[in-house]
Amino acid sequence: MARHAYKYSAGKLLKHGLTHGDWPRMWRRPERRDSYDVVIIGGGLHGLATAYYLAKDHGITNVAVLDKGYLGGGSGRNTAIVRSNYLTPDGVAFYDRSLDLYNTMSADLNLNIMFSRRGHLTLAHTDSALRTMNWRAEVNKLQGIDSSVIGPDEVKRLAPSLDVSPDTRYPILGALHHPPGGVVRHDAVVWGYARAADHLGVHMLQETEVIDIVCEGGNGRDGKGPGGKVTGVRTNRGDISTPVVVNCTAGWASLISNMAGVPLAITTHPLQAAVTEPCKVFLPTVVVSGSLHVYVSQTDRGELVFGASIDPVGTYRVNGTLEFTEELAGHVLELMPGISKMRLLRQWSGLCDMTPDYSPIMGFTPVEGYLVDVGWGTYGFKAGPVAGETLAETIATGRTADLIAPFTIDRFTEGDLVGEKGAAAVGH
Amino acid sequence: MTSLRIPSRPGEIIDRSTTLAFTWNGRGFTGHQGDTIASALAAAGVEVFARSMKYHRRRGILTADHWDPNLFVQVGDEPNVRAGSRRLADGMAVSAQNVWPSLRWDLAAINQLVGRFLSSGFYYKTFMWPRFLWHTLYQKILRQFAPGGRIHWETSTHGAYDQRYAHPDVLVAGGGPSGMAAALGAADAGAAVMLVEHEAELGGHLRWGGADDLTDLAGLSAAVVDHPGIEVLLDSTVTGRYDHNWVAVVQRSHPIAPERLIKARVGTLVVAPGLVERPYVFAGNDTPGVMLSGAARRLINLWAVKPGTRAVVLSANAQGDAAIADLESAGVEIVAALDARAGDDIVRVEGRGRVSSVHLGDGRTVKADLVVTAIGWTAPTSLLNMAGNRPVYDPAAARYFPDALPDDVLATGGITGDGTTAELIAHGRATGTLAASRALRARHDRISATVRSRDPDAPRPDVLADDRTPLARAPHPECYRSTTHGMVDYSEDVSSKDLIQAVQEGFDSIELMKRYTTVTMGPSQGKLETVNAAAVLAEARQIPMADIGTTVWRPPFAPITLGALAGRIFEPIRRSALQDWHEAHGASPLLAGQWVRPDHYGNPQAEADNVRNNVALIDVTPLGKLDLRGPDVANLLELVYVNRWQKLEVGRVRYGAMVAEDGVVSDDGVTGRLGEEHYLMTTTSSGAGAVWEALENWLQTYRPEWQVHVTAMTGGLTSINVAGPRSRDLLNRLVDDVDLSPDAFPYFSVRTGTVAGVADCIIWRIGFTGELSYEVHVPSGYALHVWETLLATGEDLGVAPFGVEAQRILRLEKGHYIVGQDTDGLSKAPTAGLGGLVKLDKPDTVGLPELKHAYERTDLPVLVGVQPDDPTIVPEEASQIVDGETNTILGRITSSRMSPTLGRSVCLAQVDPSLAAPGTTITVLLGNGSRIPATVQEHHAHVDPEGARQRV
Amino acid sequence: MIVVPCPYCGPRNSVDLRNCGEVVPRPDPSTASLSEWSTYLYLRENPAGWITETWYCRSGCRRYFTIERNTVTNEIRDSEAS
Repeated sequence: MARHAYKYSAGKLLKHGLTHGDWPRMWRRPERRDSYDVVIIGGGLHGLATAYYLAKDHGITNVAVLDKGYLGGGSGRNTAIVRSNYLTPDGVAFYDRSLDLYNTMSADLNLNIMFSRRGHLTLAHTDSALRTMNWRAEVNKLQGIDSSVIGPDEVKRLAPSLDVSPDTRYPILGALHHPPGGVVRHDAVVWGYARAADHLGVHMLQETEVIDIVCEGGNGRDGKGPGGKVTGVRTNRGDISTPVVVNCTAGWASLISNMAGVPLAITTHPLQAAVTEPCKVFLPTVVVSGSLHVYVSQTDRGELVFGASIDPVGTYRVNGTLEFTEELAGHVLELMPGISKMRLLRQWSGLCDMTPDYSPIMGFTPVEGYLVDVGWGTYGFKAGPVAGETLAETIATGRTADLIAPFTIDRFTEGDLVGEKGAAAVGH
Repeated sequence: MTSLRIPSRPGEIIDRSTTLAFTWNGRGFTGHQGDTIASALAAAGVEVFARSMKYHRRRGILTADHWDPNLFVQVGDEPNVRAGSRRLADGMAVSAQNVWPSLRWDLAAINQLVGRFLSSGFYYKTFMWPRFLWHTLYQKILRQFAPGGRIHWETSTHGAYDQRYAHPDVLVAGGGPSGMAAALGAADAGAAVMLVEHEAELGGHLRWGGADDLTDLAGLSAAVVDHPGIEVLLDSTVTGRYDHNWVAVVQRSHPIAPERLIKARVGTLVVAPGLVERPYVFAGNDTPGVMLSGAARRLINLWAVKPGTRAVVLSANAQGDAAIADLESAGVEIVAALDARAGDDIVRVEGRGRVSSVHLGDGRTVKADLVVTAIGWTAPTSLLNMAGNRPVYDPAAARYFPDALPDDVLATGGITGDGTTAELIAHGRATGTLAASRALRARHDRISATVRSRDPDAPRPDVLADDRTPLARAPHPECYRSTTHGMVDYSEDVSSKDLIQAVQEGFDSIELMKRYTTVTMGPSQGKLETVNAAAVLAEARQIPMADIGTTVWRPPFAPITLGALAGRIFEPIRRSALQDWHEAHGASPLLAGQWVRPDHYGNPQAEADNVRNNVALIDVTPLGKLDLRGPDVANLLELVYVNRWQKLEVGRVRYGAMVAEDGVVSDDGVTGRLGEEHYLMTTTSSGAGAVWEALENWLQTYRPEWQVHVTAMTGGLTSINVAGPRSRDLLNRLVDDVDLSPDAFPYFSVRTGTVAGVADCIIWRIGFTGELSYEVHVPSGYALHVWETLLATGEDLGVAPFGVEAQRILRLEKGHYIVGQDTDGLSKAPTAGLGGLVKLDKPDTVGLPELKHAYERTDLPVLVGVQPDDPTIVPEEASQIVDGETNTILGRITSSRMSPTLGRSVCLAQVDPSLAAPGTTITVLLGNGSRIPATVQEHHAHVDPEGARQRV
Repeated sequence: MIVVPCPYCGPRNSVDLRNCGEVVPRPDPSTASLSEWSTYLYLRENPAGWITETWYCRSGCRRYFTIERNTVTNEIRDSEAS
C-alpha cells in the first residue's frame, strides 16, 4: 500500500526550523508477512533499488527486502565513485544508463545524494597503459561518452597537487579524463531508495537473516539445484513463502547461492579503504592510478578517501590489515609527495565477490524463481541504479533485460566471458 | 593577559627554569619545557582555542589531553595538531584552524543564528534544485564547513621515516600502574617486553594524583626503566592490532623522525589503556570553562595552571571528589560541590566565550567561570575489539567491559575493573606473568616447528592457568544526559537533540544513527562520544543500553601520518649490465615493467635503417631466460607450449607460444636445445617471472615425478642482439670456436662458444627484426667488455647501437606480434594467428579443451596486417576500426609506425573475421574524429614476407 | 600480515609468499568437455570456513605447498608440500 511521500525541500527546512516540529520517519519497521510476491535478500543499494523499480516501474509492491544487519550494509562503506568510461561497448552502455539515473536521482527520490561531478582521472604510467586509455577513450567517444586522453600538463592543471615530473619512479605519461564522473554521498543513495521504496509499500525487514532457501524438484540435495524451483525462505525470525527469491548480496553471495544449490564463479576478497583527518580542500577531482594500485578523492569536509585493489588473500574477514595502509600511503605519496603530514584517521573494509571477467552475474539461474545479482567485485556501487532497474524488468517480464544479457550465469560454463579485464585496473 | 600559573606542585612536569617562545595567531607567548601548547596558552589566560565545525561556536579546554576535540591547531605546516598533548617547542608558530577572518571574529559563526535550520542531515533535504547550482555554488558553500587545518602540499617535503620490525614476547599497551606492573611481571618471568606509553611520561593517572600516587609512580617507573628486559617507548601509541598479533605502534619519541611506524609480531599483547573520562550532556556543555575532572586535575598538578576562579563541580566518583581538593589547593573557590550520587544535577550553563552562570538541578542559579564534571568513564576497548572482542555493558558500573579474548591478548587495569593502586598493580603483575608464559610457549612452538630447528626436542614450557583475581567493578551511577540537550560529539557539532531527531526519522540503530548524524565520525573516532550516543539512542528507543551495540572500532586507535605509514618508499628498478653505457651515450630511458631500457639514442628511424643496411646492436637483457635441465624437459615443453617438442635436435631452436588454462595467449618465445638434457627457454620480458613460477607449479604440484631443474638466468645473462646483413661479418671477427657459416649454423639454431674472449656465451640465430641476426647471451660480468669490443671491432661495418623503439619499428615491419599489445586479456590462439603451430592431438597441454573450442569458433577476432591507403598517415595505436560511417566497432589498430624501409605507415590490427580477407577495405577512426580507409594485407609482415633476408 | 607456515622455511610473514587459491582438481584435458573444463576454471566453492589452498614461497625456498586455512578466522592448520 503506497503512502504519501513527505516531500523534502528548503521550505520544509524553514518550517521545521521555525516550529521545532518533528520530521516524519523515512521508513517504517513493518510487521513481517507470511508471504510475499518477491523476496530480495540483501538490503544494500542493489536490493533496495530493485525493490524500488519493481514497485515504481512495474507496480509490484508485495515485496520484502531482507538484511541480516541494518539498512545499507556495505553500500554505505564504499568510496562512492561513479563513472561510465568502460572498455567494451556493452559495459559503457550499462554503466552510462546508471550515470543517467544518478544524474536525476536527487529529484527522482527527493533526497539530495550530493552528486559531485568533479571529473575522474585514470592515470597512465606506462606506454601500454596509455594505449589502453586510448582504447577506452575511443570506445567511449563512439558511445557519446565524454572521455579523452590528456597529457601531464593538463593533468597538473586539473589536480595541482599531483607530481607530474618525468623523473619519478612511475612518471605520469597521461590520463584518461572523464568529466562526467564523480562521487556521490553513498548513504544518501541507499536511504533515498529505501525511503522511496517504503513509501511505495515495499517492506524492509532489518536484522532478518536468511538461513535457508526452500526449493523442490531440483537434482541436488533437498530438492535444490538445477531443475528445481523456489518456494520460500527460512529466516531467523520465521519462514516466508514466495515464488521469487533474488540474491542481492555481496560477500555472502556464495553462502546464499549454495542454499539454492547454484554454484557461482566467484571468490570473496576483502576490499579496504581508509580516510584521513580533514584538511582544507585541495584535490578537486577523483584520481585513480592502475600502476600504483590506488584511487583517491577528497570529500567536501576535506577528508581524503582512498582505496586500492582487493586483498590478495580471499577471506571473509573485515578487520583490515596494516600492510594495506602502508602500501596505500606509499603509493599516495608517490603521487602527491607534499601530503605526508596528513594523518590517517580510520581504515575499514568490506567484502567483494570477484568474478573471472570483472563483470557481474545477473538474471535467471538453473533454479526457477531464484535470480542473482552478484559478483559485483569492486564496481557495484556505480551500477546500483541500472542493476535495480534491469533486474526489476527481468523479474516483472520474465525475460532477461537486454542491457544485462552479457552477464548471464551461463557464460562460465559456455566459456564466453565478458571483455572488461582491460578497464577494471584498480576497478574504480 | 594575567598569568594563571600557580606555585610549584609536587608532581608538576614543567621546568620553570626554561623559557620557550612561541606565537599564537601571530601574538607572542612563552611557556616552559614540559608544557603542552594548550597548558602554556591556558597559563597565559587564553580561554578560546577553536571554533566548532558546523556552528563555529567558541571552544575551550575540555579534557586537556590527546583526545580533546576542541584543541586542534595548525603548527607551521602541520595541520590538526592536538594542542592538548603536543609538547611546546621553542619557535612554534601556532594558529587556530577553521576560522575566518580570525578566531575572535569568525564570520561563519553566523551559522549559529540559522542553527535551527541546520539540523542533522539538512543537506539531504535541500540543495536539490536547480541542479546546475549544485557543483558551482552549493558545493562551495558546503566546503566552507570543512574543518581541519591546511596541508601545504606545494612545499611540504616527505621525510624518510624508517620503519622498524620488533618481536617482543610481550607488548604492553599503556604505562599506568597496571601496565608498568604487567611489564615487570612479564620481564621477571623471562619475556622480552616492550612497554608503550601514549604520554611523554610513565604513570597514567598516578601522575596527577596525590602524594601516595606520586610515590608509587616513582617506584614503579624506576623499576621499569632499570629492568634490562623492558624496552620503554614514551609518547608512542599502540595503534592497531591485526591478525596473528601483528601490532602497529606509532613512535613519536624518536630523536630523528617526528613519527615512525614500528611493526611488531607480538607473543602476547597486554592491553592496559586505563579509562577515558566521559563528558556530561547538558545545555551549554561546550562553553569554554566547562571541563572534565581529569582536565582540571592535569592543568593544576602537571602544569601548575589555575583553571578558573569560581567553580561548580558535579561529581559521581572518587576522582571528582579528588578534583575538588585539587581545585581548592589551587586557590579556586568552590561555589557548588554537587554530588550526582545524591541526585544533584547541572541543567544549563550560560556564557558567551566563557562560563558566566550555572543553573543547577535544584533550581538555584550560581555565578561561576568554571564547571568541572566527573560523571563517569568509557573503556577504550578499541584494541580488544580489533582482536575480536565485543564489549558488554554493565549498568551497575555504568560502563562497558571486555568480554572473551583470544589466547594471545590479555587486558589489565582500569579497563577490566576498579581497585586501589595496590590492587591495580597486583592484577597487572599477574597478567604480565600469565602473558609471559603464553608467549614463551608460543615462541617455543614456533621455533621447534621449523624444519631446521636446532633443538626440536627441547622441553616445552608450561603455560600457566588464568587464576588472576579479577578487579572489582565499582558501582557507579549512570549519568549520561541532564534534563536538557547538549553536545554529544564536539568535533562534529552533533547534539543529543540531533540524535533523537535521527531516531524519529528511522535511523534507529547505532550504525544508521552514526551515518545520518556523523556522530563519532570525527577525529576522536568515538572515544568521547560513542557511549553518550548509545545512551541517547537507548533513551529514545526506551530499550536498555546493553541491547544497543557500539559502532565498530577500527584501526588506527590514534591517527598516524601518511609519512610514517609509507616509511621509506622502495621501488627498485632493474638495470642491465650495459645500462650505464646506454645512459652515457645519450640513450633516452624507457621504463618497461621492472626495467629501465634504452628507448633510442637520438634517431630511432636512422637506427632502424642501420639494422636493415649494415649491422647494429641492441641490449635485450630483460628477455626472460630459463635454463632447463633434466631428462623430462621435452615433456615439460610439450605441456606448456601449444606445439610439439619431442623431436627438437641438439643445436636447434623452435618458437613456442603459451596459452593459459582458459586458452588466452599468455606468453611466447624461442626455446633452444643446448645439449641432450639441456635447454634454454626464452620468454617475454614482462612474463619472465610468471612463466618461471608457472613451470615450477606444474613440476612441483602436477608432475612431481618429472625430473627437470629450472634456473632463472634473466639477469645472469646479458643478451645482445647483433642484427643486420653484416652481422655475420662482425661476429666472425670475434668468435673462433663456432662455425658461423650458413650451412654450419642455419637459421633457428643455437651454439655455445667464446665471444671476444669470453667463454660460455650462448649464440642463437633467430630474427625478431627480420634481418640476419645473432642473439648473444653473455655472462653479465663480462657483458660490457663484449659490447664495447663489438662496437670497436665493427666500426668499419657501420655498427651502432639501436634501442627499443627502433626494434619495435623493425618487428612491426616484419609483422611479429607482441603478447599483451597485439593480443589482450581475452585473445585466444586463433586471434594471434598461431594456426599450424597449435597441435590439438597432444594428450596433455595447458588449456587444451579451450584451444579445441577456440578453433571451432568463427566469431573470434583475427590479427591482420593493415596499411592505411594514405601512406603518410600513421594512426594512433588503439584507434578504432568502425563500420563505415556508423559507430559500430569492428576492431582496433594494435600496433602502428612509420616504416623507414617502405617509407609508408604499417600496422597490425585486430578485426572482426568478416574483415579479415586480404584486400578488404576497412575504415579507421582517427583520434581527431576523421575516418580514413585502410587495406588488409595478405601477411602480417610488410617487408620481406617470405623471410628471405633472415635466412642468408 | 598473517603468518603462513612454509614447510621448509618455517613460519613466514604472508608478504613473503603468494596465495594461489583454492585447490581444484584438474580434469583430464584430452577427454574433458567444455562444461567440465569451465567448471574447473571458474566455479569455486568459496567457503566461509576451512579451505584447502596453495601458497608459493616466492621470497624463500620457492616451493609450492598447501595449507588448510579458515577464511573466517584466518586460523591455519596443517601445511603440506604440494
